Amino acid sequence: MLDETMVREVLELARAGGADFAELFVEDTVNTTLRLHQGEVKDAGGGNLFGAGLRLLYGTRVVYAYTNDVTVSGLRDLAGAVASARGAQGEVERSGAGGLDFRRVDVTPLYVAREHPLTAARRDKLALMRRAHGAAAGVGDVRTVDVSYLDRVQRVLIANSEGLWAEDERVQTRLMVSAIAQDGTLRESGHYGPGASRGLEFYDDVTPESVGAEAARIANVMLRAGYAPAGRLPVVIGNAFGGVIFHEACGHILETTAVEKNASVFADKMGRRIAHECVSAVDDGTIPGSWGMVNVDDEGMPAQRTTLIEHGVLRSFMVDRVGALNTGYARTGSGRRQNYTFAPASRMRSTFIDNGTQTPDDLIRSVQHGIYARKMGGGSVTPGTGDYNFAVNEAYMIRGGEIAEPLRGASLVGNGAQDLLNIVGVAGDLRLGQGMCGSVSGSLPTDVGQPHILVSEITVGGRA
Amino acid sequence: MTGTSTEQLTIGQAREYLLGAARTRGVALEVYATRGTSTSVRAFQGEVSEFKLHGRQGVGLRALVRGAWGYSFTENLARPALDRALQSALENAELVAPEAGSALVAWGEPPSLDLHGEGLSGVTVEQKVQVAIALERTAREADPRVTSVPYGGYGDSDSETLVGNTQGLSRGFKALYAHHFVAPLVSENGQNKMRGDWQFTREFTELDPTQTALNAVRKSVALLGAHPAPSGTFPAVISGECLGELLSLFAGMFSAKMVEEGKSPLAGRLGDTIGSALITLVDDPTLPRGLNSRAFDAEGCPSAPLTLLSAGRLTAFMHNAQTAARAGTQSTGHASRPGYQGLVGVGPSNLLLEPGRTPAAEIRAGVTGVLLTGVSGGHAGAHPYTGEFSLEAEGFWLDSGDVTHPLEVFTVAGNILDLLRDVEAVSDTPEWSQYGTGMPAVRVRALSVGGS
Repeated sequence: MLDETMVREVLELARAGGADFAELFVEDTVNTTLRLHQGEVKDAGGGNLFGAGLRLLYGTRVVYAYTNDVTVSGLRDLAGAVASARGAQGEVERSGAGGLDFRRVDVTPLYVAREHPLTAARRDKLALMRRAHGAAAGVGDVRTVDVSYLDRVQRVLIANSEGLWAEDERVQTRLMVSAIAQDGTLRESGHYGPGASRGLEFYDDVTPESVGAEAARIANVMLRAGYAPAGRLPVVIGNAFGGVIFHEACGHILETTAVEKNASVFADKMGRRIAHECVSAVDDGTIPGSWGMVNVDDEGMPAQRTTLIEHGVLRSFMVDRVGALNTGYARTGSGRRQNYTFAPASRMRSTFIDNGTQTPDDLIRSVQHGIYARKMGGGSVTPGTGDYNFAVNEAYMIRGGEIAEPLRGASLVGNGAQDLLNIVGVAGDLRLGQGMCGSVSGSLPTDVGQPHILVSEITVGGRA
Repeated sequence: MTGTSTEQLTIGQAREYLLGAARTRGVALEVYATRGTSTSVRAFQGEVSEFKLHGRQGVGLRALVRGAWGYSFTENLARPALDRALQSALENAELVAPEAGSALVAWGEPPSLDLHGEGLSGVTVEQKVQVAIALERTAREADPRVTSVPYGGYGDSDSETLVGNTQGLSRGFKALYAHHFVAPLVSENGQNKMRGDWQFTREFTELDPTQTALNAVRKSVALLGAHPAPSGTFPAVISGECLGELLSLFAGMFSAKMVEEGKSPLAGRLGDTIGSALITLVDDPTLPRGLNSRAFDAEGCPSAPLTLLSAGRLTAFMHNAQTAARAGTQSTGHASRPGYQGLVGVGPSNLLLEPGRTPAAEIRAGVTGVLLTGVSGGHAGAHPYTGEFSLEAEGFWLDSGDVTHPLEVFTVAGNILDLLRDVEAVSDTPEWSQYGTGMPAVRVRALSVGGS
């Protein structure tokens, strides 16, 4: 994307102020966004994101700057601005000058798109959307259907003052259907939005019809649901996107971004039991074609599979470069950023609770009075306290070990460190679900995942 | 103008180049361009932990072809890239279904609004660093129960927004802000709590990091010693800051775009009384000190205040040019656009609830129930299509109007329309939120609480 001489000059200029480390991140991203409303194309857009970010480390202190003037003069200005940003605090030395030989990282793609989004016609993408619309429109009480399509091809170059040179192309595609069912003044919506780091061949496996039908099914089920009860109850949480509970309750506080600032309740728990022994959890960037896959992270490190929790015992955090400097733990290939406007931070990839030995039926049968949260919505966490919340999109009462009537308006709140100990049953039907995770380095594609799990007690927010 | 094909134009030059190219080709085009620089500084344990400098610009294009809009954007402002973006917008328009009311308009003059103040040119890097350091240090040293100050910092932004179209419209405005934010983590008897405070201003010299840090510590410490909340339905007082957050989650109800797409629970209810007679809700983009103020909207339509609810009655929806044309009315200047990458929609600016007559000190008089000071999880737990919400909450227990103790993490649930109807008293003092809302505290008859 840029020639070596120019990159070398920028990195050396940036280090002239005495930084220990300099890193240039350049990206050229093309995306397509399309939306159908009631089967008609309402929005067609997309464009070209193009820019560079330069990061300097002085010890563990970070100076970051970005520009979308990716010209020789633009990058020279950027390097100068970064070097001078330290102002009176910087002691100038030429430690960065000379002798920078780049070593190319052999970026082996974990998956290669067969129907690349940049070569596929927009009309073909619209045809996929129409198939999804057709499977949702008019099903039961569905009155309104929106279908959104996204693809994104991000080409990046990462070079640093240690001589690293890595180039990568990230291909992502996603289809989202939102269906609103209506009966008189009653109204409820259902959403489903699978995605992958694959080309359009993704839709050979996950058909657009299945996406539309699932959104319509949820909207119809929830339309006549009663309100969820409020209080502390046992909850069986469904597989796939159900893993958002682990993502919010525990994942974020296992990122060194939180750990390094003493903003994680797990900061001093390495090697100690933090969960029931039936819980093992993994953050994996190496699943070919998965939504959270990374060939290399945004610091140029090849992806890893990282065991976070093994039979209840904390085994690793998710560690980026600054996190490694701050905590002493080895990097795990977890440095990620939305785009060049963000410095990388430790972030999740595909994060899931691993398979256990029970079946979903075992878990449900063991509950006399509780909730089955079959489809989760999104959630959030306050890292310092571990207090989290998430919404349930499809829920049912469990009575006498059997799934009973549907419930609307349920949310689950709690504290990650406490509730991790309350996961008392794990089934063997692990699946992943796709979401966008927002944090300090922007919004990123991540998978959440789990088999069905049983939480002995959790605060359910409904109508009391 | 001279230069090579890869020469980067300014956003003003890019706008003129694109409009010229569109006119030459005989096509209708709108150009929305922004340029901005910003600085952010974070401090941790007395030192600068992170310093960021940002510079970004780009143009968003919206072409009108046979009644259909096609979009594209580019951050590469060289002429060949602009030509490609124009071509892409035209091709996208070919895909899109024509819609009634699609038109480009040369609007009248916008109000004169100073959103730029004295500027930041006289402010040194050192001064900005000192704000971040002072925030962190003051918060860390204010109370022995502060264990860490993991989140906080200083930030500023200096931006310019331009809009132009082939109907002859050409206008721009500059805006500046400086802000800071801090969230200390406090701990006592195994309980961890964290609450932030912030300040937003258009004049750097008005920033007061010491006050903000002390407020944040006071708010965080107040949450220590929390007890589980009871489950049930209770009378509640909702702070103005919290009410602002709650209502901003549901602002889409007042969008004519949501109404026409069948996604607003207020569809068909214009003129109906939907809230308590104590509720008058206004959206005002023209406040000089508002977070979301602007002289004109994303289409260049002049900004003006709009009354959405008047004494509980639904008096208006927010419109852009297209929704207004279809509804047979005028644009209210509420075309929104999340930057040049985004599409034109309809959105609020600064939502304001008119202060009532109850003195702030009396709003919770006699109430035994919940004092709600914060909600989280709105992106998933609030449903603008239905008005339903079920959210993580922060607050205190009230006994006969007195605050007895903070409550452990709990939930509140309900429907925003029921809540607006159930308002029994409105305080006389507005509180500003980080969402750009200005609202007084209210007392509501009943709120559903999920706790132990």
